[in-house]
Amino acid sequence: MLFSRNWLQTFFETPLPQAEVLEEKLTFYSSEIDEVTAVGDDMVFNIKILPDKSAWLLSHRGVAKELAVILDLPMMNDPLQEAPATFAETDTVTVNTTTPTCDYYSVARISGVTVGESPAWLKTALGAIGQRSINNIVDATNYVMFHLGQPLHAFDAGKLVAKDGVNNITVRSAKDGEEFKSLTGEEYVLTTNDAVITDGHTDTVLALAGVKGGVSSGVDESTTVILLEAAHFERVATRLTSKRHKLQTDASKRYENGIDKTLAQYGLVAGANLIAQVAGGEVVGMKSVGDEAITRRAPVSVSLERINSVFGLALTQAEVEIIIKCFGYEYTFKDEMLEVTPPFERNDLVIAEDVIEEIGRMYGLTHIVSITPTPMAVAECNSRHFYAEKIRHALMGIGFSEVYTSTFRANDIVKIENALASDKGYLRSTLVLNIKEAGERNISYRDLLGLTAVKIFEIGTVFGSQSEEFRICLLVQSGTSYKAKIDEPLVAEALTTLTEVLGVTPELLSNENGVVEFSLDALLSQLPAVTAYEAVLSSEAIRYQPFSVYPSVSRDIAMWVDESNTVGEVINVLRTASGPLCVRVTHLDTFTKDDRTSMAFRLVFQSNEKTLAGSEADEVMISVYSVILERGWEVR
Amino acid sequence: MKNIGHQHPLSKVIAEINQIFAEIGFVFAEGPERELVKYNFDMLNVPADHPSRDMQDTFYLADAPELVMRTHTSPVQVRYMLDNKPPIRMICPGKVFRNEATDATHEAQFFQLEGLMIDKDISLGHMKGVLEYFFSKFFGEEVQVRFRPSFFPFVEPGVEVDMKIASQEGNKLSGKWIELMGAGMVHPNVLQVAGVDPRIYQGFAFGMGMDRLAVLKYGVDDIRLMYNGDLRFVNQF
Repeated sequence: MLFSRNWLQTFFETPLPQAEVLEEKLTFYSSEIDEVTAVGDDMVFNIKILPDKSAWLLSHRGVAKELAVILDLPMMNDPLQEAPATFAETDTVTVNTTTPTCDYYSVARISGVTVGESPAWLKTALGAIGQRSINNIVDATNYVMFHLGQPLHAFDAGKLVAKDGVNNITVRSAKDGEEFKSLTGEEYVLTTNDAVITDGHTDTVLALAGVKGGVSSGVDESTTVILLEAAHFERVATRLTSKRHKLQTDASKRYENGIDKTLAQYGLVAGANLIAQVAGGEVVGMKSVGDEAITRRAPVSVSLERINSVFGLALTQAEVEIIIKCFGYEYTFKDEMLEVTPPFERNDLVIAEDVIEEIGRMYGLTHIVSITPTPMAVAECNSRHFYAEKIRHALMGIGFSEVYTSTFRANDIVKIENALASDKGYLRSTLVLNIKEAGERNISYRDLLGLTAVKIFEIGTVFGSQSEEFRICLLVQSGTSYKAKIDEPLVAEALTTLTEVLGVTPELLSNENGVVEFSLDALLSQLPAVTAYEAVLSSEAIRYQPFSVYPSVSRDIAMWVDESNTVGEVINVLRTASGPLCVRVTHLDTFTKDDRTSMAFRLVFQSNEKTLAGSEADEVMISVYSVILERGWEVR
Repeated sequence: MKNIGHQHPLSKVIAEINQIFAEIGFVFAEGPERELVKYNFDMLNVPADHPSRDMQDTFYLADAPELVMRTHTSPVQVRYMLDNKPPIRMICPGKVFRNEATDATHEAQFFQLEGLMIDKDISLGHMKGVLEYFFSKFFGEEVQVRFRPSFFPFVEPGVEVDMKIASQEGNKLSGKWIELMGAGMVHPNVLQVAGVDPRIYQGFAFGMGMDRLAVLKYGVDDIRLMYNGDLRFVNQF
């Protein structure tokens, strides 16, 4: 939510610190800040209010209270400090609620209002936090919501039916298929799980409870009498309604987060008074149903010892008392036992740990001191990890590369209820298909990577209808075509290597076309228990280099060179001669015949900007040939 | 021609993590990737109406409403505590799933590292010490750790963990604070349901993205590369 520094300032007599200081204080003592922006002469903070604190912190009053504690700055006028004010009851409206999801509903009648533009201060305040000004009535309700956290809604009483001068507001469950058109014109078809506000005399839907007002009773230029709603709707029901209709509003967000019902009483009075102030008119009176008692929260006890043991600190009772005093909550602190009675709005202070957290964050989590861990042996070794590492390094030793592939497939045994995409609707029951696909994809990269064969493996989880197991799958693709050899000697080499390293021959689940799969879990039962891990060899620092997405082109060259030339020297000459497009020179073979030495190389060309045409590689080769000629070598 | 193969950066990271944590007695634990809702949410103090249970975040399995693809490695905390009595020092590197659109920094499947340490007097000071020890070894430079207030249902107090790698030439990430993960003191409700008496034992838990560790360590610019089997990527490691 966006918060204005100028708005926060209205709670304090003393000037607040600069925006940078506020940003730092809020970050380390309260909530994460996404962004701070200048808006006119104001600074606006985009604060990520945490879900557990959203019932009271999604408001300027909430953040002002945080600042009061963090900065130890007294609030000049905390609107929640005193018991809520009320208006005299009016008999011009009656209220009923028949749904359990609304446990408090109040309405104030304000007559003689003039709908028009909001005063400049109100427009500026809302504008700073990104709210468009609509008219003085709607702006007043929005202001109170962002000020206190209580959603309000203004109905045009003139658009409701009055019987003998009396309106009736009824809160009830919606009927299945009942239609609702919101203030902004969108239409919704409701279910019995939604709650609605209705004109009790006509049974017409006026608003989707806790979410949004309807078009039929919206305030416009002709409005002179307002019925102002301040209510409390149950959090889960509101969340489900909002989700069902894909309609999250500033109001629904606050109910979802469990604002306390007592807040509605403060909201009604603040809202009605503000409307009277900015739109003229007079508050005729109010009517309410539901429990009006101010929520009493149970005291929470915690010992000084517990507080210290959670943070690894050694605070004294006096030091903790300085912190708890800043909150201004009711507390006792005797014999190192602290008992705090949270105010009605703090639904997040229930157990000792909640209070410990409050003390810790206000003391400063950055002051926690590191306790260096003591070395000790592990109680047991993970044999799956141990043997996976052993297999991995054995395969790497004979040139295999390890890949990870997706757990999801287009079709298999176990189906995902809510797949991300139609080609990811199932869990893999084998690694074979994934590895085959990876093998095929990599064939065209062989020259680029200087490989004669694609040799890959994966160690990963596969899923049966009930089972889940770790498998190992390896693939060799040595032919020049995309079709693998039936009897791939490199597969046999890999299996021999594994048998040597493990002392056990893996039982293969499948072995065809150069792809072999076996179960790691099944293998583990045949292997000795692990008592210690092998050391991980630290490699030199690796920095990943982004690679070109364009295909490469290869050209082979064979030539007679001087007997004294080494492969490295020739490669250097070829590299220099072939320029920046040549990304790899691979030595293919060397032989000597009749006192002459022949060397063959493969030059691989690739651009970072485009797909190279064969002719572009050929052009480079022409200059390579001329360099070779200059050296007195002879192209074969 | 001799060619030596290449290890996937994530399995390299897992092996290094295990080596570092094993030196200070942390056991490498595991749990299923297809997990019971009970372990993934209920026993972790995630209320039934919590937004993270929504369909857009969690993969559910067809015809099995009691199962999800685990959304984090935290259920392994519960499983481990049910099977082992304190003192506990445990890590769990493992694959997790989120029903989210993918881009260069998000994948629907990725790896997390869970950590759990429980005893009679384990504090956030211990957590700071363990994390500084781990990161300093992992990045090969002195690393500082700091905490900010945060919230996760399974911890209280909850913190956000930032780290700062000591300034090194040529490393853009060094010398500045990097937001890394969520952590905190295990919630007493979680200890309770996992059979650990919260009046006697306490401790910390953390969960961080391992892909992010690999990104920081190797400078990978797109985490999708980790899961597509492309040797132009893997063979750089």
